Amino acid sequence: MEAWKSHVRAALIHRDCLQKDPFSGLFTKMSRLEEMLNLQMGVWEDLEIDRIQSPNTNGVLQCPVEEKNPLKLYLQLKEEEQVRQKLAQKVSDLTSDLYLKEAELQYCHSQVSRYRTEAVLLARGACCLKNDLSEYEYKLECQSKQLATLQSEQRSLREELALVRQEKEELLERWLEEKREEAERINKHNAALEKWNSYAGRLNRRLYSGPRRQTRPTTNSRVIQRDSADQPSTKQD
Amino acid sequence: MADDKDVLRDVWFGRIPACFMLYPDEVTEREAEPFYLLLPRISYLTLVTDKVKKHFLKVLKAEDVEEMWFEYEGTPLKWHYPIGVLFDLHASNTALPWSITVHFKHFPDRDLLRCSSSVVIEAHFMSTVKEADAFKHKSQVINDMQKKDHKQLWMGLQNDKFDQFWAINRKLMEYPTEEGGFRYIPFRIYQTLSDRPFIQKPFRPVSSEGHAHTLGDLLKEMCPAAVCQDDDPKKYQVVIHGIEPLFETPIQWLSEHLSYPDNFLHICIIPAPND
Repeated sequence: MEAWKSHVRAALIHRDCLQKDPFSGLFTKMSRLEEMLNLQMGVWEDLEIDRIQSPNTNGVLQCPVEEKNPLKLYLQLKEEEQVRQKLAQKVSDLTSDLYLKEAELQYCHSQVSRYRTEAVLLARGACCLKNDLSEYEYKLECQSKQLATLQSEQRSLREELALVRQEKEELLERWLEEKREEAERINKHNAALEKWNSYAGRLNRRLYSGPRRQTRPTTNSRVIQRDSADQPSTKQD
Repeated sequence: MADDKDVLRDVWFGRIPACFMLYPDEVTEREAEPFYLLLPRISYLTLVTDKVKKHFLKVLKAEDVEEMWFEYEGTPLKWHYPIGVLFDLHASNTALPWSITVHFKHFPDRDLLRCSSSVVIEAHFMSTVKEADAFKHKSQVINDMQKKDHKQLWMGLQNDKFDQFWAINRKLMEYPTEEGGFRYIPFRIYQTLSDRPFIQKPFRPVSSEGHAHTLGDLLKEMCPAAVCQDDDPKKYQVVIHGIEPLFETPIQWLSEHLSYPDNFLHICIIPAPND
């Protein structure tokens, strides 16, 4: 039981121990005695009235029921009547309690059937949820397997990627080496060309400055043409 | 569940020993003896004091008798509050039996409602039950009941029949399982040191986040002064049916088990005794 609930229960018991129990017995007893007193007072008043109405010659008190009956018996009779009334009331109370209990029982039965229906519905729900759960578990298993496959694929692809990258690096290095060599070749070629050009220039200068004509090398025909274009020939002039 | 039913029984059969004494200024033919009675906490003063009236009428002159009313230490006692509330509010920390003064003259019309017969008490009781059900079920349950069910509720209270009363009252305590409680909790908070008769506002048993509200939550919202901080000394007692429930008690459970027969949860906030 929850702590707050047991606290309430304990506090109620404690409250009754302080407020109800010490007085209950005393008050009940007192109320019973008061009832008895009232009854006896009633009897006394009855007798008084009767005595006033029909006093005997000696002035002795007479019982209203029968002259032979003593006062004690009359009182006892009244008490018995009261007890009988109380018992009749008790029987009536118990009968109505019985009806109430029967009604409560019926209510409990209806509650039981309601809870049973609810339980069946909940069980069905639980069954559906269980099925869903197993389905999800299966899906999860499939997806885990798929994930594992994809992870291994990814791993191999990464390895391949690393190889390809390494290869790319090597190729790049090779390409750079190639380019460096090509640049060197071009530089050499350019240097040679420059040499040839200066040589051709010198030859041209010698050709145009001196009377003697020399045959031009066929490999340098372009340079000669350019030179001729840059420098207007004397023939045209 | 059996324990919960025990709580209902303990609440129903709660008693307060009382000693009724005639106001000394009342004119009597002979000296009036005090009258002792065990008062049911859940009932109303004027419903259970027929014997008291009969007792004192024996010594009073017929011409000196007006409507009977009660007073405790100068405070007129409102008959339309349950006896338990009156005791917890005015006399919970005093010695027992509870001394109540009985008057037959000078009825305080400004403080008390007149109560000529038990029909008035029945009308008051039924209207309070209907008000409570308006909070709990938009009056659907009480309106669906038959006249004889209403009568059974009243007769159960009048004749102190627990089973008779609860055979009907349990319908007023039902709610849809999925909602987790009533629409609103019918409660009234009484304070001795306040001019207001009581605090009564709509309060849901479950928060918007779906958590069950507790007595502490209710008090924090309605009467924060009653909830003391951890370090502070206790200033007030929060009393329901003569006990102090823990603040973590769910308010829905309290409403179902510690409500008075009028279906309201009557909460008394009184100053803590200085021992």
